[in-house]
Amino acid sequence: MNRGLRMPLAMLAAPLAFFVAFFLAPLAVVILASLSDTANAWTLEQYVRVLADRYHWEVILVTFRIACLTTLVSLLLGYPLAWYLTRMVRWRAWRRVCVILLVVPMFTSNIVRSFGWMVLLGRKGLLNQTLLDGGLIDRPLRLLGTETGILIGMVYVLLPFMVLAIGNALSRLDASHELASADLGAPPRATFFHVILPLTLPGVISGCIMVFTLAVSAYVTPALLSGGRISVLSMLIFQQYSSVFDFHYGGALSVVLLIFTLVMVGFAGRIGRTRGDA
Amino acid sequence: MPALLNIEAVSKRFGAFTALRDIHLHIGQREFVALLGPSGCGKTTLLRTIAGFSHPDSGRLLMDGQDIGPLPPYRRPLNTVFQNYALFPHMTVQENVAYGPRRQGASRREAGERAREALTLVGLEDLGERYPREMSGGQQQRVALARAIVNRPKLLLLDEPLSALDLKLRKRMQLELKHLQEKLGIAFVFVTHDQEEAMTMADRIVVMNAGRIEQVGSATEIYSTPASRFVAEFIGDANLVDYRVDAQGRARLALPVADLTLPAPDASDGVAVLRPEHLRLVDAGEPGQLRAQVRDIVTVGSHTLLHVETDDGMRLVARTPGLPEAHLGVGSRVALGFDPARLHLIGTPR
Repeated sequence: MNRGLRMPLAMLAAPLAFFVAFFLAPLAVVILASLSDTANAWTLEQYVRVLADRYHWEVILVTFRIACLTTLVSLLLGYPLAWYLTRMVRWRAWRRVCVILLVVPMFTSNIVRSFGWMVLLGRKGLLNQTLLDGGLIDRPLRLLGTETGILIGMVYVLLPFMVLAIGNALSRLDASHELASADLGAPPRATFFHVILPLTLPGVISGCIMVFTLAVSAYVTPALLSGGRISVLSMLIFQQYSSVFDFHYGGALSVVLLIFTLVMVGFAGRIGRTRGDA
Repeated sequence: MPALLNIEAVSKRFGAFTALRDIHLHIGQREFVALLGPSGCGKTTLLRTIAGFSHPDSGRLLMDGQDIGPLPPYRRPLNTVFQNYALFPHMTVQENVAYGPRRQGASRREAGERAREALTLVGLEDLGERYPREMSGGQQQRVALARAIVNRPKLLLLDEPLSALDLKLRKRMQLELKHLQEKLGIAFVFVTHDQEEAMTMADRIVVMNAGRIEQVGSATEIYSTPASRFVAEFIGDANLVDYRVDAQGRARLALPVADLTLPAPDASDGVAVLRPEHLRLVDAGEPGQLRAQVRDIVTVGSHTLLHVETDDGMRLVARTPGLPEAHLGVGSRVALGFDPARLHLIGTPR
């Protein structure tokens, strides 16, 4: 072997082994399990079970609807928030406080935060009480156990990822492009849509991909906020693995989720490539 | 002809730093004006103020008689070539140039046509489909120029547009810019810290220092009759000689030459400028000469700079055409002569 190559390879060995042991091997186990039955014979039966059932398609639809809406709402809230943090906050200490406020919740357990939302969104929760006291509604809104409730919780949990991805793109934007746009006769609105948005699109896409993949595979938040009324794919998978112990069927569900997600992400990545850094 | 742009009493402070102090300047139609000065002198702030990116604390900007001070940059009838070009990286060259007309309401087709026209003017008609990152610095510079002139502004602002180019290309672009300006018939305001660049291109040069205008004039004027010590030293090489004004109102120069007096511009003592090319080597014995010893010889090729020290310790620079004469060396004794009429006496600094 080439002497000059031995060192880099030795250094790569540890991370490579880690990657194989903790990323590829579990995935392979899941895929192999999904392609076999309880007698360990090769079969596609699990996939037929998943895809031939109307119920599964409904769950897939709900899962992706919640994930897509979470991504969309996070984007619509996250872009202005990132704009505020990178463009409008002049006082550095305040910006730091804002970023800390944004990031600190991520240090707490997802379970704790989702329970928090259960309290807030309940029939007699803070939100309904406030709205009732303010005379804005006559009867409490049903939020727990609805997709809206799950959506609120998911956006709360995942918004920081979107803000950080877009904020990063915004702060790296060369200010002279905006000056040039204004100089050429573009009012601020036109400058935003023709220059700033296209130039921050890579950040937007990466934020969307992050939020989407986390939302589509989220378990804790939908499980706690669904109140048992709504199921998403990750909840079905969890049932198969933890209560039914059907690893073959659970594996097939996991692979279906993975493939659907990869297709969506690949699609988004394509938009990012053709428009983003063109 | 009335001025295109009147800058009246414009001042700007950034905290404790004064960027512009009471600037008055008129820019004529079709005029090529260079704002020249060291970094931090306020020339870029003045340009940004005209463009609308910086707001003066006081003063007015009148363009064709209209106060453009309250107008945002996108409503001002002028365009800018930025120092780093600021080309949009996500658009092709053609799209970059068509951006201006599009934002001003031209149809896609009309904007495309005008963009092609502008690109032809700068010699890039075949490269419209490329992206800025696929082009050389010189080509990007031309794209920036095409993008800025496509809207046919009455005034083009250029912020050190040639500073990123290498020397040869810069020299060529200086002449090209000058010709383009004449062809288009629009006024250029050009910011530079390079006096040669300013002198090559500009009809009028505005020399700035510490937020103030030191002098406004043609290249010849600011070179041969500098208004201040700063201008004399900043533009070219200069020998500065102190003088005292005597009771008869004659300026007596601190040069070891007998009986050299000149009419003084005003009553106070000052400094006189003698350009190095006006000091020449003479044969010893002629009247009115300076005796000195050579300290350094700098050979540039087209001319030679002789750094000398006179017998009473004054350091001077003389410029002689061509290569140095063979017998000259460091330590040689020389005699220098000059025509007293070449001395320019700077009056009391303002």
